[in-house]
Amino acid sequence: MTTTLTTARVGALAGTRGLVRLALRADRWRIMVWAVAVAWLTVVSVRALDDLYASDTSRAARAELIASPAATALAGPGYGLDDYTIGAMTANELALWIMLPVGIMAVLAVTRHLRAPEEDGRLELVRSQPVGSAAPVVAGLVAAALAVLAVGALTFVGLLSTSLDPAGSALMCASVVVVALVLAGASAVASQLSAHARTASSLGMAAIGIAFVLRAVGDVQGPQSTSVWTWLSPFGWSQATAPYTEDRWWPLLVGVAATAVSVALAFVLAGRRDLGTGLLAERPGREHGRIGGIVGLTWRRQRTAIWSWGAAVVLCGGLVGVLAAQIADFVADQPALEDLFPGGVGGATAAAFALYSVFLAVLAFAYVTTAVGAARHEETSGRAETLLALPVSRGHWLGSQLALAGMAAVVMLLVAGLVMGLTAAASLDDPSQVRTLVGAAAVTIPGVLVVLGVAVLVLGVAPRAFAAVWAYVAYVGVMAMFGDLLPDGADAASPFTYLPAMPAEPMTWTPVVGCTVVGLVLVLVGTQGFRRRDLQG
Amino acid sequence: MTDAITAAGLVKTFGPKRALDGFDLRVATGEVHGFLGPNGAGKSTTIRVLLGLLRADGGEVSLLGGDPWRDAVALHRRLAYVPGDVTLWPTLSGGESIDLLGRLRGGIDPGRRADLVDRFELDTKVKGRAYSKGNRQKVALVAALAADVELLLMDEPTSGLDPLMEAQFQEVVREAAADGRTVLLSSHILAEVEALAQRVTIIRAGKAVLSGSLEELRSLTRTTVTVGLRDADGAVRAMGTTTGVHDPRRDDGHVTFDVDADALDAVLAALPAFGVSSLVAHPPTLEDLFLRQYGEELAEIKAAR
Repeated sequence: MTTTLTTARVGALAGTRGLVRLALRADRWRIMVWAVAVAWLTVVSVRALDDLYASDTSRAARAELIASPAATALAGPGYGLDDYTIGAMTANELALWIMLPVGIMAVLAVTRHLRAPEEDGRLELVRSQPVGSAAPVVAGLVAAALAVLAVGALTFVGLLSTSLDPAGSALMCASVVVVALVLAGASAVASQLSAHARTASSLGMAAIGIAFVLRAVGDVQGPQSTSVWTWLSPFGWSQATAPYTEDRWWPLLVGVAATAVSVALAFVLAGRRDLGTGLLAERPGREHGRIGGIVGLTWRRQRTAIWSWGAAVVLCGGLVGVLAAQIADFVADQPALEDLFPGGVGGATAAAFALYSVFLAVLAFAYVTTAVGAARHEETSGRAETLLALPVSRGHWLGSQLALAGMAAVVMLLVAGLVMGLTAAASLDDPSQVRTLVGAAAVTIPGVLVVLGVAVLVLGVAPRAFAAVWAYVAYVGVMAMFGDLLPDGADAASPFTYLPAMPAEPMTWTPVVGCTVVGLVLVLVGTQGFRRRDLQG
Repeated sequence: MTDAITAAGLVKTFGPKRALDGFDLRVATGEVHGFLGPNGAGKSTTIRVLLGLLRADGGEVSLLGGDPWRDAVALHRRLAYVPGDVTLWPTLSGGESIDLLGRLRGGIDPGRRADLVDRFELDTKVKGRAYSKGNRQKVALVAALAADVELLLMDEPTSGLDPLMEAQFQEVVREAAADGRTVLLSSHILAEVEALAQRVTIIRAGKAVLSGSLEELRSLTRTTVTVGLRDADGAVRAMGTTTGVHDPRRDDGHVTFDVDADALDAVLAALPAFGVSSLVAHPPTLEDLFLRQYGEELAEIKAAR
């Protein structure tokens, strides 16, 4: 008994098992919600594809449509387009959208376990116990990996209930797991660079964004993973497995190797730094401050987030504009497609622009949610208490933060619309696109208000349930992308169900005014709730 | 004399827990009022109610003549608050945080700020995330004490300060009191309250169990006397039968016992018969007061063993 106790307590890995258990216990609901949501959405989408594309002709038409550069940028490398089975369709169009959320989950889980406890001092307490120096890192990674595996396994089980080939489903779920593990490894490295969980998760998110863009460029340039860009992205590796068509397992080795390298790097870096520090050095600040109010303070806190989200939104808009000519050429080359688009070439580009405008808007919604979430974090951290003990009213404190978040989102969308319009005007040689696309971006602004309203309502009335706001943003995103695959009425709570999909649809004022009013009412009710409730740490 | 703070029958519940259960408090204008209680007794909840950050579920409360919930903003111009666990903005330097808090209050006296930074030996260039607990506490202290206010609400303000800084803190609070400011000082460090406060309120399980001036409270309790004696056994026997003497105990040639204030005369007259070689007497400390209030609980704990 004594011997086992002693051996269990020495070495760099001592205590790992207990820490893994602790992490899994803390995360059990989170993991369950992610796993059920991802698996359920996957199964529902596959079933819907099965129903919608029952005939060979409809699948062939879908294959032609999806081969367009605009669709490819948001889908995959296009394996099996000549015989576009439901499996090929799933791997090509759906897999990326399973990988993306699972990857985000992995990045957040790693920083939550690796960096946050160190930043807030919990790790100091843990490390003072008979726990090895490497144990927290190993435990955090194991917990994140187990969460990823749980999502992959449940999705696989769900897919067994569909018509898809189980072997292909196994490969696709493995591909999802591997790409998430690669991103977890990258996040582990990021967690060593910065002393702050927030910076570390931003670095991880930036890695996801870069990986996404690399594979989009690669897949547009060379179908079936023939471009070098595709092979620079973990998404590219996992999509190169071509489940249900080629069924190749070997590309996963690239991902496994990359994970091993980044995890090893994280351990080397972790061994070279002190507890509570990052490798990026801390610069001293000013002796005196110039910040004079809540707006100034919020700008200071949020400026990095605003610039990075803004850059992402504007870059995406520019990318779409640049690709516009390719979309038009593609439709012009394929007379068969004109049946699908009543407006011909113009109609096809308009439909693509409408879809992308919504995509940009969802990014802006995510920014708004982080901004309101940051206000909630000010409250839980106790900093709101310090400010509200000054002659600062609750309305002023919250209103300043909301105004800045809303304005930043609106500016982001308008600039993205302008950049998309300018690049589209150049690539299509059609100056009217500038006006059209700024208008398309502007018409999504009431949606920003709705999301802001939902976030403020939750903050004001049920602040501990703030995660529900993220669920709502995810819901709006899923409905925008896959709403037509889901049962009727499922999209009733999304603003895009009502707002005109410009430029594919004409402008209508009723939904614009309606969404604006709903958004404003939610903001007011939420603010009132916040003013009436106790401050809750 | 008017009161800066009055609270009567305050009730605040968090779910099933009654954090404040009919709490009473009276703080006179211009006094330093000690607010004592163990962790979880309701000190921070009280201060948050006084700041209008929490709304009381029952009872009445008045702060500087106003309602802390309704008139929060106007009242906050006249008071400053130091939380017990200060969190700062991670990317702002300490100096930036102090200046921000000062401006939100409507201006900061640069001379006073510089003087306090100097006295607390605070490096204002360090970013919020890099400060130790004690240094974060100093940032909040400088910001609050540099403000020109009538009332200071301090919730365990010295947690994390080293003894030198604690002495500095006491001096600054004395100066504030000399300027006529009212101070409510919550603490579980008895010596600190004893050194600064004229009156104290002791809170336990959400109720005020004792309140009054230090003098009044001391007269409620006993002086502890330790005497070196040639005939220690005789003294223990004699003291055991004297009214007003409690718990005589022997330790080699020394006898220690507690004496009620009105029995001191009789005890001092009786002792020379046993040959006094040394004598130490100390007045009741807040610790004794505290222990007396919690004696019940201690007895329960002992009984449970």
